[in-house]
Amino acid sequence: MSEDARYWSWQMTAVARTGDREGFLRIYDHFAPRVRLYLKGLGSPEAVAEELTQEAFLRLWQNAAGFDAARGSVSTWLFRIARNLHIDRIRREPEWYLMPEDQPEEREGYGTSAESHADCVDLGARIESLPAVQGRLIRMSYFEAKSHQEIADELGMPLGTVKSYLRRAFLKLQSRMQDSV
Amino acid sequence: MTPRHHLDEATVVSYATGALSPEMAAVAATHLELCHHCRAVLASAERVGGALLGQQKPRPVDVDRERRLRDAMAERLDATPARGGFVRDAPDLPADPDGLPKPLHAYFGRSWRALKWRWMGPGVEMIRAARTSGDTLILLRIGPGKGMPVHGHGSTELTHILRGAYEDELGHFSAGDVADLGPDVTHRPVTSPGGPCICVAALDAPLRFPGWFARAVQPLVGL
Repeated sequence: MSEDARYWSWQMTAVARTGDREGFLRIYDHFAPRVRLYLKGLGSPEAVAEELTQEAFLRLWQNAAGFDAARGSVSTWLFRIARNLHIDRIRREPEWYLMPEDQPEEREGYGTSAESHADCVDLGARIESLPAVQGRLIRMSYFEAKSHQEIADELGMPLGTVKSYLRRAFLKLQSRMQDSV
Repeated sequence: MTPRHHLDEATVVSYATGALSPEMAAVAATHLELCHHCRAVLASAERVGGALLGQQKPRPVDVDRERRLRDAMAERLDATPARGGFVRDAPDLPADPDGLPKPLHAYFGRSWRALKWRWMGPGVEMIRAARTSGDTLILLRIGPGKGMPVHGHGSTELTHILRGAYEDELGHFSAGDVADLGPDVTHRPVTSPGGPCICVAALDAPLRFPGWFARAVQPLVGL
């Protein structure tokens, strides 16, 4: 994973500098099936997930020149784009505010260049090592976009407990991100 | 303006995953626009999303279908030149002093001056957003020294202070602060001296007023 993230950052930087179409398609080949799977997990039918994935990569391509590896990884940027496409798709009012999806302006996060370093230590493995309940709540939040209340209803847990488990899980991931820089 | 009261990390995670209602998200976004601390937490929450996205394990695929999608993508790339630079909105223009925060435009318009406040009681005015997804979104303007009656929450109340300040059992909240309150909280906010306190609040269940008087006015206030 660490080498992986480093490689894709390098590839995306090359695309950003030269507009290299073949390089971009390598990024597409790797990530498109993952983005599709994520969108399907959020409830999109296959055809919609395919369409939104194509749209996500078109946005990534159009804004590629703005990529800065120090401000975030390719997968985080794709996550933001795909999430917004999903939200935009399911909501009723087009004017409702949509969160920003560019890479953050500042190098935000705890510590310096948190992302590139944090990516190098395997965040994925750290998610794996969370206690079972916390890991489950993190997955339900991210992969199913479930609200605290929905999680509480589904697992028969008090709302306050859901929040405190999620908070604890997230702080654990975050403190380890800090440790890693 | 450096906020001292922040969003709950669990709320930021929900915002990052897209699980907040549009109304809760609008209040959270209003706070995030001016809170460096919470933006850093959001960046971390989105990194977790990025890591999870990268971790996805796609099943073995239908090769023909993949090929067709890839060809379609390549065609669209050729038809769509990448932009030379990165377009970011609001470059260095000074903020419009009459401008409401952008996340609230869809609900309350763009202008402070154009707001049509509705009298609710002595020193208390309110505007309720009409088109919502089901949660309640209100702007409240409460005169100095005035307060809301003691109330609890059916579930979650997310309040961002736009102007002025108030005090309650939890502390002093001033412009830029957010109060991220769960079902376990009962409080009685009172506006601090100086000027009115204006805040925007999203509620996912009706407020609960314990006293008989407050219960009597609740239907009138419409909360």
